Amino acid sequence: MRTPALARSAGAGPFPAMAATTLAAALSLTLALTGCSAQRSKTVNTADRTIEPVAGCGEKSWTDPARLGADRSPARCGKGAPAPQRLKKPRELTIATSTLTAEYVAPLQIAVRKGEFKKEGLDVELKVLPTPEALPLLAKGEIDALWAAPEAAVVNGINGGFDIRWVAGNFSPAPSSRSGLWARVPKGEKPASIRLDGRRIGTLIGKGSVISYPMDKIIAEHGAEMKSMSFQQLGSSDVLSAFAGGGVDAAWLLDPVWRRVDGDERYAFLGGQPAGEPLGGALFGPSLLSDDVDAGVALLRGYIRTINTYFAGDYKKSAPFVSQLAKVLKQDAKVIKSVPSLRMDWEIRKGTTDRLQKSYRDAGVTEGKALPEERLVDRKLYAEAVGHKP
Amino acid sequence: MSALETPAPEEGRLVRRPGPHEARPESAHRRRRTLELSLAVAVPAALVLLWQLAAAQEWIDARVYPAPSAILSDGWERAVAGELWPDVWATLKRVLAGYAIGTVSGYLLGLLMGALPLVRAALEPMMDALYVVPKLALLPVFLNMFGLGEGPQIALVAATVFFFVWISTLAAVLAVPEGHRDAGAVFGAGHWQMFRHVLLPASLPSVLVGARIAAGVAVLVIVASESIAAPDGLGHLIFDSRALFQNDVMFVGIVCVAVLGVIFSELVRLAGRVLTPWAPRDRGRGQS
Repeated sequence: MRTPALARSAGAGPFPAMAATTLAAALSLTLALTGCSAQRSKTVNTADRTIEPVAGCGEKSWTDPARLGADRSPARCGKGAPAPQRLKKPRELTIATSTLTAEYVAPLQIAVRKGEFKKEGLDVELKVLPTPEALPLLAKGEIDALWAAPEAAVVNGINGGFDIRWVAGNFSPAPSSRSGLWARVPKGEKPASIRLDGRRIGTLIGKGSVISYPMDKIIAEHGAEMKSMSFQQLGSSDVLSAFAGGGVDAAWLLDPVWRRVDGDERYAFLGGQPAGEPLGGALFGPSLLSDDVDAGVALLRGYIRTINTYFAGDYKKSAPFVSQLAKVLKQDAKVIKSVPSLRMDWEIRKGTTDRLQKSYRDAGVTEGKALPEERLVDRKLYAEAVGHKP
Repeated sequence: MSALETPAPEEGRLVRRPGPHEARPESAHRRRRTLELSLAVAVPAALVLLWQLAAAQEWIDARVYPAPSAILSDGWERAVAGELWPDVWATLKRVLAGYAIGTVSGYLLGLLMGALPLVRAALEPMMDALYVVPKLALLPVFLNMFGLGEGPQIALVAATVFFFVWISTLAAVLAVPEGHRDAGAVFGAGHWQMFRHVLLPASLPSVLVGARIAAGVAVLVIVASESIAAPDGLGHLIFDSRALFQNDVMFVGIVCVAVLGVIFSELVRLAGRVLTPWAPRDRGRGQS
């Protein structure tokens, strides 16, 4: 007689064979299915929209994208322009940003506070989310926009098939700003003769950040190249400590940290973000690029109006406004006032993404051929918002 | 397993027939080993295949969760091109250095505190308080102490390993039966002989269990630490590629860390077997 226990024990024999057969079948099926499928790609469509002239936004509301340089005044409309055009159906939008306390996010924060988006029929929610986490969500349409920059992660994502475009700029530094690369001055040397080859640089943001582009340029001016440098990524407070303590030879110091070394002869400012060339801003995914372009234009209209109304010039001259900024950015008003106003700029310069991609390749953080500008940038939305016909 | 035959009423006796384990113990054991080995291979393989299928059929987004074939191919390319090894070597160096320092210091202090009640009384409350501090929180302290470079990374691994080894050594020494010590004393054992012939053999198996747990934790903590303040290493590779949205590279790093952890832990287990042949044998995974 064969008991159940015996049967179970005997059953152990054919199991490996069964498992192997199942495994082989699964492998064949997987390989077969792998071969006959590919990742779908949606197309982005912001073309063929009617662009009407906008009151208050004349010639100065558009600058030739090819124009570069510190002397270029950013595009501006009149105060309160472009006027809001409420969407027929109100729309909720989620915008991700890696920080809510940085000054370049202030136009967004002020737009929300002053109801500029509400006037467009938009209910905007700002969410703090780092770019690598936000990218897939943006591509899937789970968030509508990302307030960041065309970093290497974005280029890699678009290269991998994400339908994302850089649709508006954010700022360029004031000519008097000294936010950028600082180096220790060796005894007996002058700032211009500092050699950076093989030196260690401390940064809050890594080589995949847009600062790679100005850094690439500055480093080349000082006899080095990105690959010959050693980068040490550090926390915001640690960058200055490491720099002052000699842990790193140079550091990329942001606002207002550079004020701590400004005027000290032991340190020299080598250069910063190019004047007149924004390196970040709004990135849209398919939800605003193709599914609901009206909402995308409305969002940029609210943003541009906020710049024209509150950030058109040296906005830090107004003490009450600085107090408001301090409140929304959760910073000390004195700290905000200690550095010059940013030049808020919604436009994107021609060739910026080419220059960024070159620096990413030099730093070894992107692979493959550089993407053409049209795969990364779409100026049509802000052109429509200010009524500019290309 | 044996089998019982139902007795015929007229016989009035039970007949116990030997099961396959008793009748053919070697072949039963072989079958069991084969079954366990098959399961150990088939289950992960099936999961990997399912992942591959899900990526290929777009049930998951392959740009975010790359297919295993893409990870394998990328890992292979990086290994062949020599791009992977500097990071593996950097992590390995930090883990080995920190592990060695942490194990030796943890063992010595555990032994001292276990053997000398006054030292235990003096240090135990403080050590208990330090034990519960998340070791990663000490990284800024180590950065200030040792500056940038290898120092903070090695110190962090050493601090983590130290507590695992210290606590298991202390517990093991305290658990040595009083009779063993008395026997040593009766035979006139001095301090060194008491340590060499009584405390060491009695405590080493437990200490090695702690050391094995610490081996896994050492890899875990170095990955976290390298993600914060290191210019290279597998942790840096994982988090850097995550920041650059190079998910295939990120998964290559994760797989490398998993392999490194398993190899390191198995080596410590092997060392344990060699060093403590008298200890109950840990026969490893899949060997019930």
